[in-house]
Amino acid sequence: MAVPILVFSVDKTRGSLLLKIIENGGFKAKLFDNSHELEYAVRRRRPSIIVFDTKHYQSREFKIITSLHSRFHDAEIILFADPAEIPSFTSAGIKKDCCFSDPINPDDVTLKIREIHFIKNKAFLRIKTYFVFLAGLFAGTRDNPYIMFMKKIIMAAAVASAIAAGIAGGFIFYNMSDLPKVQMLESYVPFESSFLYTSDGVELAEFYLERRKFVSFYKIPKHVKDAFIAVEDAHFYEHHGIDFFRTSAAFINNIRAGNAVQGGSTITQQLAKMLFLTPEKSISRKIKEAAISMQIESRYKKDEILAFYLNQAYFGARSYGIEAAAQTYFGKKTEDLSVAEAAMLAALPKAPSVYSPFKDPKKAFTRRNLALKSMLDRGFIDTEVYAASIRKPVPEYIYRRKYAAPYFVEYIRNIMEQKFGDRLYTAGFKIYTTLDLNLQRKAERAVTNGAAALARAGMPGVEAALIAVDLNTGAIRAMAGGTNYHKSQFNRATQAMRQTGSVFKPIVYLTAFKNGYSPDDTIDDMAVSYLSKDGSEKWTPHNYTNKFYGRVTLRTALSRSLNAATVALANSIGMDKVIATARSIGVTSNIYPHLPSAIGVSEMTLIELTYAYTTFANGKRFEPMGYEKITDRYNIHVEDNAPKGVQAIDPANVSKMRDVLSAVVTEGTSIAAKSLNRPVFGKTGTTDSYKDAWFIGFDDNLTVGVWVGRDENRPIGEGMSGSHAALPIWINFMKEE
Amino acid sequence: MSDKNEDAKAAAANQKGVIQTDRPKEIEHFGGPIGLDIGTTNIVSARARGASIQITKQLNAFFTVPASKITGMTLLKNDVLYFSQNGSYYIIGNAADTFANTFNTDTRRPVESGLLSAKEDEALNVIQSIIKTLVPPPKNQGELVCYSIPGEPIDTKISVLHHDTILKRTLQDMGYTAIAINEGFAVIMSELAEESYTGIGISMGGGMCNVCFSYLSVPVFSYSIQKGGDYVDTMVGAAVGESATRIKLIKEKELNLLKEPKNKIETSLSIYYEDLLESLILSIQRVITTSESVPRLSKPISVVLSGGTAMPAGVREKFEKLLKANRLPLQFSSVRMAEDPLNTTAKGALQLAIAEEK
Ligand SMILES: Nc1ncnc2c1ncn2[C@@H]1O[C@H](COP(=O)(O)OP(=O)(O)OP(=O)(O)O)[C@@H](O)[C@H]1O
Ligand SMILES: [Mg+2]
Repeated sequence: MAVPILVFSVDKTRGSLLLKIIENGGFKAKLFDNSHELEYAVRRRRPSIIVFDTKHYQSREFKIITSLHSRFHDAEIILFADPAEIPSFTSAGIKKDCCFSDPINPDDVTLKIREIHFIKNKAFLRIKTYFVFLAGLFAGTRDNPYIMFMKKIIMAAAVASAIAAGIAGGFIFYNMSDLPKVQMLESYVPFESSFLYTSDGVELAEFYLERRKFVSFYKIPKHVKDAFIAVEDAHFYEHHGIDFFRTSAAFINNIRAGNAVQGGSTITQQLAKMLFLTPEKSISRKIKEAAISMQIESRYKKDEILAFYLNQAYFGARSYGIEAAAQTYFGKKTEDLSVAEAAMLAALPKAPSVYSPFKDPKKAFTRRNLALKSMLDRGFIDTEVYAASIRKPVPEYIYRRKYAAPYFVEYIRNIMEQKFGDRLYTAGFKIYTTLDLNLQRKAERAVTNGAAALARAGMPGVEAALIAVDLNTGAIRAMAGGTNYHKSQFNRATQAMRQTGSVFKPIVYLTAFKNGYSPDDTIDDMAVSYLSKDGSEKWTPHNYTNKFYGRVTLRTALSRSLNAATVALANSIGMDKVIATARSIGVTSNIYPHLPSAIGVSEMTLIELTYAYTTFANGKRFEPMGYEKITDRYNIHVEDNAPKGVQAIDPANVSKMRDVLSAVVTEGTSIAAKSLNRPVFGKTGTTDSYKDAWFIGFDDNLTVGVWVGRDENRPIGEGMSGSHAALPIWINFMKEE
Repeated sequence: MSDKNEDAKAAAANQKGVIQTDRPKEIEHFGGPIGLDIGTTNIVSARARGASIQITKQLNAFFTVPASKITGMTLLKNDVLYFSQNGSYYIIGNAADTFANTFNTDTRRPVESGLLSAKEDEALNVIQSIIKTLVPPPKNQGELVCYSIPGEPIDTKISVLHHDTILKRTLQDMGYTAIAINEGFAVIMSELAEESYTGIGISMGGGMCNVCFSYLSVPVFSYSIQKGGDYVDTMVGAAVGESATRIKLIKEKELNLLKEPKNKIETSLSIYYEDLLESLILSIQRVITTSESVPRLSKPISVVLSGGTAMPAGVREKFEKLLKANRLPLQFSSVRMAEDPLNTTAKGALQLAIAEEK
């Protein structure tokens, strides 16, 4: 800092604490524990801020404070004192808002010092530039046609005068205008992140609005500063806060365009804008900015200004400041950034979303290299470094602290965001989820191992998803939405709409049971052709084996997954009833109201089918439940999410469903699940050309759904049916450890 | 006897995750700063060795046998560390335990309840000898060693000044620049770098528990209570009529506070653990509410537990539960275990020594 901050406390701990707080806020300070040394220091150099802790100070008269106050008018004194003693200080002229009591509040201290540094200095109020005069002229004149006309003429004059004023070295008017009462740095009000926990209280994730991390200017390497100067403000070290040439050029363009579009801002102006002004884009704001910029320039060294700027700038991806950005984009500290990385970051603040490498890697790459070119042109780097740097790739994904259960975290985040909006990131909620970390790890392992096994068998790039639901409460216990969250955040357990194949069939059989059928009733499995509603098309369902089995029981028809028999059954009870059953057990996706839907041509999500199977298991329908309770930052309950099961299938039909779904495992397509050596129930599913493989099933505790397929909806591989591709993952997950 | 001794050495060397040496000639001095934890039970030294940290430790214990020529030869032959004094051989460090076991008695200790023992005349000699086995003479005069000292006990009038001064002199006489670090703060140095050294560090050792609250690396308060693993052993032993040594063995081997106690020893262990944790939390509450320097924090802070006594399953959970049940003016985000609880203090001391060197 250009002007030193002096801290005084006879209490060693409190003194060090205040010193650290100030340093942590990015300022330099010096600590004193006896008044002689303090006296000596202020005599050698005029102080700008004195932080004085009165705790345990030997004399309760505090002559030293009044003396400092009267001798150093332009120094601000921040006091820590007993509340009872504060009036005596304020009556002696110490500002009331500079007096604090215990406990020491680090945020108060930092804010106050920033405020003093940026706002409360007398020179600031005196700087009334020609620009400000103009600002006054234009204020509130929108509707006056006369002034509107004059405006253009005055504007032309203004540009000329601006240049003249600049050349004259800043023509200053006194007491002529009213710069907006600069607001406090709202951005420093500490927001509190919300936290997500597993069912047994392990922290899963933190939701924050913005990542802010401060880095002191001496820790920012030269090549990082150079990158920003090259990109944002080539004359940074030469101008005095505003680059008159640039500003005027922008003015002229603005007049032509009728409103402000082009940025002519120096780094200092951008800093002023970030710190003090609302993001309106108008001429008058530009003028105010200019005034503040000059002010900043008069008080701080260039390096400090650059550091302020780097600490304030927004880099996209909710990262404020270079340190947070370095973390977000590269998982590094600022001091460890390479030239290429620095250039990438320097390219961002202008339009963080446009140049985001996560959004448009090509554009980001080009812009990064443009930044490198400017660095080369200005001699900041040599051709060798340049050549090496332009070949470096740009980052592909946000570097995150790796959370366990990322898909689940994202799933819950979405729900919470709908519930709380932005407060989720600022209000400090604690959200206790239903996730069981052990099961979650098992789920992730099962899914990645399953996909890896397919890759080894010559089918790379296959995705898989798994969700496990506690069938007694409807609570989600594990969720794997894909094989690699970093590669793809698309959640195949909750978002992917896929054809269901035979996993849909049990709904047809449930409808049959509700209409008086039982598992031992028989039905014909044979070639039958059905006409579409308008009679234009003929459709003949075939079985997977390409054979027909004649008269079969309902049990056999389902356990062997016979298409012809199932369609015949659906045809005899009516698709409208089948659809009604599906709705009654929680299926919400669109179901085409014609026969092919009976064997699964309609698209659904894994999560809704898994909940439907949960209803098969115990008759109760549950809403997906991912969290148990939410408390606020004071640990007060916001919401208790108790399981809410609704009876949807009567017990007699539940046992019929269990009967047929058990046959699938004991004698049907899923015989491999017998290896688990305990009663399990479920159904496989396979769609056309092996594009989707499913297995959804349950034991006594959990309903578990597995889907395997490709995001592009191409075939997984020849023969990759539900029992080949999905069931092994399911078994793997259900296996006891 | 020599077999047993070898076993003990092997056992010590096999303790997982750390490089163990217990013979001075095996200690290669790579130079550089040293962190030293002088605890009731163990003395642990830590040194940076490339990217990893080399840990060396000795039991902080001794055992005397009558001096004789044959004994002396045997000890020498087996590389047992000892010195002779007043017609006795003082066997020190890890070997003392082996001897005590062979003679079916307890070792003696130079440190009691975290401080230099007043009872043992030779305490100082013993401790100096053990330190010398762990800390070789400096390569250059004035090399840094950072040693841990307990916080002022809040429940007695004893001061740590004597203890501190004697250790400092010992190390200085060896040619080191010695700086002290509070044991609780060492835990913070070692475990809370990510949180800008803000939080509460607790070391639950044999003789005492040390607590430190630090904000941005400023130790705002630190203190100790003179209850620890030994207290649990003694109290449980008295309650069930067993030797403290036996209780200690059981405690270290199989105590799990998450499980329902199965017998009277386990019941008693859980009672005294609860008592210990309760005293700890009450002391924290008392100190926080009376301290003039605890800042108001807008963010919850972490608590880190370390030391041998924190190791049984369930200590962390029990502590967290008690912490939540007691209203404190600070918010806590998590209670977690130190990465390597027995070596945390030494590692923290090393961190400070390294920081101090720069
Ligand atoms: N696995 C374990 N379970 C329970 N207690 C243990 C375990 N391992 C060691 N202890 C106990 O931890 C204590 C020793 O811990 P530690 O080495 O951290 O203490 P210290 O630093 O020597 O002592 P202090 O810090 O009090 O001076 C002993 O009481 C010992 O019984
Ligand atoms: Mg200890």
